Amino acid sequence: MFLNRSEGFALALPAALFTFLVFLVPVGILLSAAFQAEPGVWSLQGYVDFFSESLNQSVFLRTLKLGILVAGTSAVIGYAAAFCIVNLPASSRGRIFGLVVLPLMISPVARTYAWIVILGRTGIVNDVIVGLGLSETPIRLLFTETAVFIGLLQLFLPLMIISLVSAMENIPRDVVPAARVLGASWFQVFFRVILPLTKEGLVIGGTLVFTGALTAYITPAILGGSKVLMLETLLYQKVNVSNDFVSASVIAMILIVMCFSANLVLKRIASVRS
Amino acid sequence: MSRLTIWLILGTTLTFLIGPFLIVIFAGASAGETLTFPPQGLSLKWYAKVFTVESFRDSFALSMFLAIFGTLTALLIGIPAAYALNRYNLPGAEAIRTIVAAPIIVPGIIVGLALLRYFVVPLDVTITMALFVTHTALVLPYAVRVVSSSLNNLRADMEEAAVILGCTRFQAFVKVVLPNIRGGILAAFILGFVTSFNEVPASLFLSGPGVRTLPIDMLSYMEITFDPSVAALSALLAFMSVAIVFVAERLLGFSRYV
Repeated sequence: MFLNRSEGFALALPAALFTFLVFLVPVGILLSAAFQAEPGVWSLQGYVDFFSESLNQSVFLRTLKLGILVAGTSAVIGYAAAFCIVNLPASSRGRIFGLVVLPLMISPVARTYAWIVILGRTGIVNDVIVGLGLSETPIRLLFTETAVFIGLLQLFLPLMIISLVSAMENIPRDVVPAARVLGASWFQVFFRVILPLTKEGLVIGGTLVFTGALTAYITPAILGGSKVLMLETLLYQKVNVSNDFVSASVIAMILIVMCFSANLVLKRIASVRS
Repeated sequence: MSRLTIWLILGTTLTFLIGPFLIVIFAGASAGETLTFPPQGLSLKWYAKVFTVESFRDSFALSMFLAIFGTLTALLIGIPAAYALNRYNLPGAEAIRTIVAAPIIVPGIIVGLALLRYFVVPLDVTITMALFVTHTALVLPYAVRVVSSSLNNLRADMEEAAVILGCTRFQAFVKVVLPNIRGGILAAFILGFVTSFNEVPASLFLSGPGVRTLPIDMLSYMEITFDPSVAALSALLAFMSVAIVFVAERLLGFSRYV
């Protein structure tokens, strides 16, 4: 530990100043614009206007719903997958974990594009449906909420699995067998042993997945289009189609508040359980 | 749980996570004119075509430039910051940490819009410069975090010993600290490179006519054309990312740092 503080500040200054000037200041001004429906006049009018339109309301609710659904589903799959990974023999554990992490390194555009091939009019699913005679013509699967849900789930599931695996690795190996020997059902083992011991991982994973789903742009843009708007794609439209910068700032503020409150709410839930 | 159940669950999960890619690889290898699966005959013509599309070449060059120089710049200011936060008992270190980490927390699309309206337009910055600054800011948090964690694992008494033995503080840093954290720096570079190269939301508003990053160029290409070339390009990019990470893992155990 060095004591020369001015030297320390001098070293940290470029990074802090850079982020402050080119990042925090512009974002701060943008967010403050959400409270100025008319320039210079502070009011909540922007929010009132935004939420008085039924399209905006439904986009807001859809974004919230998809965020919760994706986070919830990935928690269920994540627990099953993480439990399996932790119980693998050491030799295959690293390799399987690597395969889970791998998609995170690949461009989200490429990852989302795959679903066009699968869900498109001439995609695999429609080939099977038409081939089996379940429907005469291809069904519209793209540009539906389901498509966006599937795309988001695939995009963010690895984050949940990683968080839960690292939480579960800290559970002593013989705790689960001990609970089983003492007569607990798998149901009880999960809710009374595994869940309490991994809730921090669940909070981290849940926050990552929920905020990720909320703020994803590519997936709703490609798989939802203008039929299934989410807040991010709506923000883009407000700017590029209708030049409505007040609404865009309002959406920005809503997104940021949602992200932060998600973290707080999850933390609160975790602390109540114990 | 039986082994069968374990492999059934993992198999299904991994199929969901990775299966779509295998499909993209094959869809790109189609001999037909439209995007279908199974492909209408196999050929590499779309893989070859990707290299002849001029806008892909331009946007690839831009994305490469941003990923390499944005990350290097982030490291240039991020390494001293990480060092200061780890080795000096700075009052307000927490505040500095929060400021530097902020770009990760704020959704990318908001970053892009804010910079466009309150940085690029008023200061009349060129688009390339704006993208460069944005990508540097977005990569900086990763640079600081990864380098910090590798500094944490390096005992400070080594530098103190070097200083006592007559090195200046700077010499001690260059001769003792840098060689010991070079794995962390390389890991930070790779993480930053991949993050920057794949970035879309923040670059969306900052892309102008003729100046686009590769992922954004792909997005606009697929709005107009429905041929397998984007599938081929997606597959090539996936190979590139996987190869980089694989080499990094083999060379320095990349995953330890992330």
